Amino acid sequence: MVSTGPLLELDRVTKRFGQVTVADELSLTVRPGDAVGVVGPNGAGKTSLFGIVSGDLRPDSGQVRLGGRNVTSFDAAVRCRLGVGRTHQVPRPFEDMTVFENVLVAAQQGGGARGREGFRTTARVLAGTGLSDLADRPAGRLGLPHRKRLELARALATRPRLLLLDEVAGGLTDPEVAELVGMIQAARADGLAVVWIEHVVRALTSTVDRLICLAGGRVVADGLPADVLASPEVKEVFLGTGSVGGVGGVGGVPEGGGGDGARA
Amino acid sequence: MNWVGAVVQGVLVGGWYALAACGLSLTFGIMRLVNIAHGDLAVCGAYLTLVLSSALGLPVGYTLPLVLPIAFAIGVALHLLLFGRALRGGPLAPVLVTFGLSVMIENLLVAGLSADPRSLDAGRLALAGVRVTAFGSVITLSWLRIAGFLTALAVLGGLHLLLARTSFGRLVRATSDDLDTARLVGVRVRPVFATVAGIAVATAALAGVFLGMTATFDPYAGGLSLIFAFEAVVIGGLGSLWGTLLGGVTIGLVQQLAAQWDVQYTVLAVHLLFFAVLAVRPQGFFPASEPEAA
Repeated sequence: MVSTGPLLELDRVTKRFGQVTVADELSLTVRPGDAVGVVGPNGAGKTSLFGIVSGDLRPDSGQVRLGGRNVTSFDAAVRCRLGVGRTHQVPRPFEDMTVFENVLVAAQQGGGARGREGFRTTARVLAGTGLSDLADRPAGRLGLPHRKRLELARALATRPRLLLLDEVAGGLTDPEVAELVGMIQAARADGLAVVWIEHVVRALTSTVDRLICLAGGRVVADGLPADVLASPEVKEVFLGTGSVGGVGGVGGVPEGGGGDGARA
Repeated sequence: MNWVGAVVQGVLVGGWYALAACGLSLTFGIMRLVNIAHGDLAVCGAYLTLVLSSALGLPVGYTLPLVLPIAFAIGVALHLLLFGRALRGGPLAPVLVTFGLSVMIENLLVAGLSADPRSLDAGRLALAGVRVTAFGSVITLSWLRIAGFLTALAVLGGLHLLLARTSFGRLVRATSDDLDTARLVGVRVRPVFATVAGIAVATAALAGVFLGMTATFDPYAGGLSLIFAFEAVVIGGLGSLWGTLLGGVTIGLVQQLAAQWDVQYTVLAVHLLFFAVLAVRPQGFFPASEPEAA
């Protein structure tokens, strides 16, 4: 049912914005059914990596292949139809449309579900993400936890083979994170591959079997989660950012400094 | 004429303004495209009808099944060749490109069909009217005006249903809300926008046909109709179809009422109203959605 070859291949992909390099000769392979976590300091190029895979960002050089096919020049709509689903870090629902309509558009367009099948897919996805009761609510009136779920529901409705999750757990309470992780694990039962950026490392390690650490647009570590988190390169990357100007020191100074400034 | 008659005429004429403006409202609301050539495309519709009805020997009404699909196809082609590229070129590019298109259309029409004023023969409908007694005064209403108003209502109602109730409408709403996210869930934006442009040009052509039947037109008539259409859209609220109808009717009313006072002030009165609306309520009466603050 699934091909045995790699699902996603990034082949020496480079992307620069002026002086900033968000992907530097980046190569990466994801196989069908993989669950890959992505960590790295801010500005490491994590979200840009998703942009390059989903088609929002066109790389300056290098190749993006999906199921062995070169999709580098394809736009996001075509890549979605080829099986790439993506969620945004800050949810971007179609605000004036209902929750149902949001998911239905994804099911009919990205998922290619015609007629009644689109409605069935939508109903199934909404049930799986616990949004059935909110189906008729305008998406603009949802709170953050439900927006995050809708983001996931919309991506799932496109029937992806590869799901890119950008900090779906950020800003949620522990029980909400646990629920969301449950939904993602349920979706993985169908052989879906997941690449997941997350700062909440606990949420990641419960699901992924492989962890990648990005820094400066390059992969600095790639392997089993425990090994990656323990590796000296990763420790240096995180300690390195931690010591930039001394996060602890900076945290201490503004309180006193701010107080002085206010008094002066 | 009398005041009651002026109000009724104003509403009927306003229907035509709404018809002329709804395509503008559509392209702006959905694609963020300000089409300066919209009025010229309406005039093109009138000329196309003129040419077809004289070439085929058909009455004006019978050419519509040909004129509207041709206009739709022209809109699609314009999007694929011009508008789509212009929209990728930043906020100013569409204005400049469609301004250039406007100048080109006007000059091509002059070169090909001369600058003489023309009109479309509406047949028996042109002179037929109905006398109504209301509030103690007798009003004569032209069937042509009534037909124009009903057509405008039907077009706006149809567009509303298309957007609110169909899968295509959902695509359009999703795309106009967030272009990138729409792509991300698999929406192919180009065909959606091309269809919207096609619909907009078809409605403009229809407005042009009614313009040709109720008045005269020449290659430069597009400019003034564009200004009125633009004002109708802004008064009603950018991107809102019912707002556009209200804007059109408001303009028609002001125009007819000003004519009761002195005919030479009709155009000025409309512009003053537009100015007043911009000063007091720049978002229009029914803005399509909240101003983008977030």
